[in-house]
Amino acid sequence: MGDDAYTVKIAKDLADLIPGYLNNRRKELESLRTALAAGDFEQLRQLGHRMRGVGNSYGFERITSLGKEIEEGAKSGDKDSLATHIAAYGDYLSKVQIAYE
Amino acid sequence: MSDLAAAGQSVPAQTAFRVLVVEDDPDMAKLLALMITQQGMEAQIVCDGAGAIAAVGDSPPDLVLLDVLLPDMNGFDICRRLKADPATALVPVVLVTGLEDRDSRVLGIEAGADDFLQKPVRREELLARVNTLRRLHETRRELEARRLAAEVEHAEALQRAFSRYVSPRLTARIMGGAAGDAPFKTQAERTDVVALFADLRGFTRITETIGVHNVVDMLNEYFSVLTEAAYQHEGTIFNMAGDSLLVGFNVPFTQRDAAARAWWTATEMVSRFAPVSAEWRARHGVDTGVGIGMARGEAIIGNIGSPHFMSYTIIGDTVNTAARLMQMAQADEVLLSGALYESIRPLLPADRVRTRGEVALRGKSAAIPVYSVKL
Repeated sequence: MGDDAYTVKIAKDLADLIPGYLNNRRKELESLRTALAAGDFEQLRQLGHRMRGVGNSYGFERITSLGKEIEEGAKSGDKDSLATHIAAYGDYLSKVQIAYE
Repeated sequence: MSDLAAAGQSVPAQTAFRVLVVEDDPDMAKLLALMITQQGMEAQIVCDGAGAIAAVGDSPPDLVLLDVLLPDMNGFDICRRLKADPATALVPVVLVTGLEDRDSRVLGIEAGADDFLQKPVRREELLARVNTLRRLHETRRELEARRLAAEVEHAEALQRAFSRYVSPRLTARIMGGAAGDAPFKTQAERTDVVALFADLRGFTRITETIGVHNVVDMLNEYFSVLTEAAYQHEGTIFNMAGDSLLVGFNVPFTQRDAAARAWWTATEMVSRFAPVSAEWRARHGVDTGVGIGMARGEAIIGNIGSPHFMSYTIIGDTVNTAARLMQMAQADEVLLSGALYESIRPLLPADRVRTRGEVALRGKSAAIPVYSVKL
């Protein structure tokens, strides 16, 4: 992914909510990793479902698309796919940049 | 602002539109609440179904944004519960869901949801849906306020109409519904009544010697005094003509002590009129007093007249008898028919009661016993 792919334009009036939001996403990432290690597909499905809803609601399209992949992977029990997308989520969260507008 | 409000109609003071956000994800809840409050609305957040039901029970909001997947209950069940309760059935519910399948939408419709919002939530869509429901809510509230105002106006108009005929307390009974449909019956009925006719003695001399404007003022003063006396004892005024007044008791509602009420009214009329009469004597040099005739028996009560003019009144032999007795009565004298006398004898001042014997009244074939009480 190029640098632009990690830059997200967010409405200025949401600025106060973003630090807490991203903090919760990092906790979510840990929960995903724990659930994957435990093979807890139901937990993975729920977390993916939540990512889908909350991602693009704030403007993070990538979180929504990754959430969809994780939810689908959990439903089908595809561990490899889950591992790939959880890793991609970690990569995204470590690089994402916010541009307020 | 709705069209009704924009039209400048008087509406009750608006409080802020209150939205209950039911969402277990704190980030989603905060986002929805922020978008709501930025529009000048109030937002309250609860994170589960039990909290939602408790919050609605405490104080129903104007709108509920309801997540479908909650930790303790699902949004469909909560929605169904709110719509089943008359107290909250009209509160609009928007289901906020990440579920995309058709079955979920059908479930939401069956649960009574007013609208749906798909996650991820788009701000424009959220506000469009919320504002539409807000306008509907405000219009409904304005219409309800107007309906209530019209009801109050109608009740006041009825009250004004009734208060021309019956005492304020009887009016209150009619308006309160405690009287059933008695005064509204279209068919006349025969019932036991006590009829009281009162007449101003010395009136002819007044009209001959005093200017017309003064006569009207004096008649108004006289009728005010007599009306107050009748209302004090819950009599119903059926007719006011010339200088005479017809008051009925035991109509339109049953009064077990109708005869006693009629007697108390008669004494009250005479005693209330005494100072008025004294003032007229001092000012105009005229002697006046109240002559009263009372009878008890059957009468016909109902709305009598033509389609163009109708009067709620009592007619019949008892009323005619009271009228004849009134014509015979001197100033400050009450003449009672024998039947009425017998029913209230213990109330009468024995030293002032005189029998007039059997009197043949004009228009009646048989003589009736008549008693006089000079007050």
